[in-house]
Amino acid sequence: MEHAHTNATRRDLLKALGALGITAGLPLSPAMAAASKDKRILVVVEMSGANDGLNTLVPYTDDEYYRLRPRIGLRPDKVRKIDDRYGFNPGMLGFEQLYKDGKMAIVHGCGYPQQSLSHFQSMAYWHTGVPNGGERFGWLGRVADAIDPQLTPNFLVNIDERQSLAVHSEHHVPVVFDDPERFARKGLRQSRPLLDNPALTDGPNASRQYLDKVAASAREASQLVRAAWDGYKTPVDYGIRSLDLNKVAAMINAGLSSQLFYVSFRHNAFDTHVQQNELHGRLLSYASDAIAGFMKDMERIGRANDVTVLVFSEFGRRAAENTSLGTDHGTANHMYVIGKPVKGGHYGEVPSLTDLDEGGNLKFTTDFRRVYASLIEGWLGHGSKALLGGDFKTFALYG
Amino acid sequence: MRILSKFSLGALIVLTSLIAHAAPAEWQDSFEPLPSSEWNHDRAAHLLERAGFGGTPAEVSRLAAMSPKQAVRSLVHYRAIHNPLPPFEDSGAFDPGLDPFAPSRPAATDLAKATGESLGVKTKPAGNRKLQQVADRFLYWKRVTKLETERIGYWWANRMLVTKRPLEEKMVLFWHGHFATGDEKVQDYRKMLKQNELLRAKATGSFRDLLISVSQDPAMLASLDAGVNIKGAPNENFAREIMELFTMGVGNYSEKDIQEAARAFTGWNYKGLEYVLNPQQHDDGLKTVLGNSGNFDGVQVIDIILAKPVTSEYIAEKLYRYFVREDVTPAMRVKLGKLLRDKKFEIAPFLETVFESRDFYSDASVGTRIKSPVELTISTYRKLGLVEVPGIPDFNVLTESMGQKLLNPPNVAGWASGKSWITPGLLLVRGNFVYDTVFPPVNFIAPDRVADDRYGIVPVADKVAMGMDVTTATKPDYKEVTSMSMQNDRDEDFNTRLASYHAWRKAIEKVKAIPRMPARLDLSQMVRDAGCVSAQQAVDQLLMRFLSVPVDAQTRRKISALLESDLGTADLKHADSYMEDALRNVLHVILSLPAYQLG
Repeated sequence: MEHAHTNATRRDLLKALGALGITAGLPLSPAMAAASKDKRILVVVEMSGANDGLNTLVPYTDDEYYRLRPRIGLRPDKVRKIDDRYGFNPGMLGFEQLYKDGKMAIVHGCGYPQQSLSHFQSMAYWHTGVPNGGERFGWLGRVADAIDPQLTPNFLVNIDERQSLAVHSEHHVPVVFDDPERFARKGLRQSRPLLDNPALTDGPNASRQYLDKVAASAREASQLVRAAWDGYKTPVDYGIRSLDLNKVAAMINAGLSSQLFYVSFRHNAFDTHVQQNELHGRLLSYASDAIAGFMKDMERIGRANDVTVLVFSEFGRRAAENTSLGTDHGTANHMYVIGKPVKGGHYGEVPSLTDLDEGGNLKFTTDFRRVYASLIEGWLGHGSKALLGGDFKTFALYG
Repeated sequence: MRILSKFSLGALIVLTSLIAHAAPAEWQDSFEPLPSSEWNHDRAAHLLERAGFGGTPAEVSRLAAMSPKQAVRSLVHYRAIHNPLPPFEDSGAFDPGLDPFAPSRPAATDLAKATGESLGVKTKPAGNRKLQQVADRFLYWKRVTKLETERIGYWWANRMLVTKRPLEEKMVLFWHGHFATGDEKVQDYRKMLKQNELLRAKATGSFRDLLISVSQDPAMLASLDAGVNIKGAPNENFAREIMELFTMGVGNYSEKDIQEAARAFTGWNYKGLEYVLNPQQHDDGLKTVLGNSGNFDGVQVIDIILAKPVTSEYIAEKLYRYFVREDVTPAMRVKLGKLLRDKKFEIAPFLETVFESRDFYSDASVGTRIKSPVELTISTYRKLGLVEVPGIPDFNVLTESMGQKLLNPPNVAGWASGKSWITPGLLLVRGNFVYDTVFPPVNFIAPDRVADDRYGIVPVADKVAMGMDVTTATKPDYKEVTSMSMQNDRDEDFNTRLASYHAWRKAIEKVKAIPRMPARLDLSQMVRDAGCVSAQQAVDQLLMRFLSVPVDAQTRRKISALLESDLGTADLKHADSYMEDALRNVLHVILSLPAYQLG
């Protein structure tokens, strides 16, 4: 469903912002900072490497779970029970609290037809939102183009070493950086004009044109991001690995015009084939600490009502444990939608542990694009059909 | 006289290099060899850039003086070139008690608890923290292998810089990205070194030979969990990556093929640094892989994979994208696959045809490739004429911050190439690399000596040294500890924060330090040698020496004006005694142009 009123408001706002013209080095006026506070923000957190969903949210009353996982299954007395069926991995205090506070929607059985068990292939499908297709642009990149045709500077942000396919956009140049402290060009004063304004070239060399375009974006974004980071101090503990969510918080805190953020738990971390429990528990506690910390920080700066966090992984893991106390590549998994305005609870049909596919994997029950559609429509207030190339039934995650 | 001849040569080269020469359109996609009449300095520079890491004008001139065929041969058939380079100098921090290493800290301490010994260390029979030394030792090896791997990174980078066989090192880098294995997973620098040497020994020979050797390489076996792939309980990780990443690419096999292939690789394992086959763990039953049935072992499965045309196309395309350009049409892919099959999967003759081809010198190929971080760094050093990789800034930190840390690829797929090397953030980091090279930092802290803040080692060391008890000394300084992760440290038998401190102290005592000298540049001599007498000539000389694509006339003039303004004159003779810093500044400007990322 369309939220026409929200849409109109935002459009007007964007026009106004466009007229003001946000350029590098220009300090944000209080008026602009205030205006951007009305905007809704979506933060996508990728857990790369295929997170083991069954040991993240444990179906502790299902005997079949313990039959499939006699050695790595987490015992009922160890898990953090959230209701009479499920309990989170012991390290996930943050997730337990978010769920109990009614701020977390758990969507079960997410996947897609003809599941690829390749990390990179499957991740590309999630990034583009087009499984088994050849879409060039990322789903968030397409969302940015659709909801922000004015091409607001810094609208789309990706904090990582490399740009994710998810933010690859036809019209937006995503702001991609890793360390805000390093997001600055060194150079002597007399060289600044040449360093900061390299001549644009034309001609057939596509790589060269790409470099020129990125150089222009770097110049514009770096000062804003750095100023945001310098001006951000928080008493909130994000745990050992912040998942870059503190940097997202800094940009939100500074009132930048960014609405779409993409961060990841990097380097295929969740690929736990061997001896997984200790490592997996640790990774989950990092993720849970960071996300809970971020939500707390949003509350602190008064933006909790404006932010939704989506957590996903490219697929889950095999229902049964393997012989090396780990798990192999699997299929369906949970997605988590977290935020103060989110209507907490369970969504989607839970895949059966007794009715597995021929590879011993869960049968997916929810096309993951239904969750994308629910966020695009329910949160960002835009139609999803054209964007996702299909009519995906939405979940009422809000209100 | 000597100066004069250098000057005329330099001026001539500048003239040709600053003008973009369009190659005929029909060169693109043509494997016809480039005729000798078309051979020149620019094309020789392009060849050296791609088949190696670029070079000084003198090195380019040497190739330009040959025929294109000879020039390519001199790079591709490098085995005859005498190339005495020092072997890696091991610090000697390993001892046999560390092998096999524990898969996790709990595994190490649990074993010690159960048996009284672990990792070659006995537990203390009485007193506090009986397992402390086991925990120390576990973390000791983790620090050692990280530090020693970084020394291997330096050793390898130095090879890339000074080798007389640049293609050899360029191919090792290619195979390292292809058979991506990282110390973070392997946790044994000795295996990483051994794999690096394997990739070098077989860099341009038969792909089949290399593939089999890599499949039996301890680092690879450790990296893809082959040790737990046993009869009756196959682990699919290894079989999957062989098909998906090393030979065919996704979409050319079924899940069933992977499961069956995994059975063929059962029992393939390593002991220490050697490959071993455990016959009782090998499943010699009937398997069906890619439509073939038999009692296959791993080598037979590799041969089945190699017989598929898609394998030659996958490998040939990947090589082509690494050496020539990113955009490969489906027709070109088929053509490249056939070429590799015609050359019987021998890499050297395949590359010889590619480097000689008119396609390689077409406009679509020249100056269109975005350099990887390691290529950028090494080629910059080579063009600066350095003979040693600088210790300041740190090579590993630099390349990691640009997205490519040697011996630690981000995942099994290796590094993505082309445009994905560049983001707004990374473009600035690349420019700052040049700044830190020409104006080295004055507050450099050696990362292989000073403990990383993240581990909280220094505060613990300080408090212990002041006589504080361990519990108090290791209490985190955070005011508000809400996170779960902080509670993982608790254990009555040992203290991990104390272990972290002990491990670092012991590791830096054993592991040799990386020499820390900044680059000693002499750009003044460089422009003097080239016979430059004016600011504009100096700028043109630097543009010619470093850039693979021409810059516009206005930028060229502006950079020259900057140099002239810094020197207070356009006359280099007058400025000769003080021009170094100004030259370094314009070099930073030139190498910060977006165009410098192209090679």
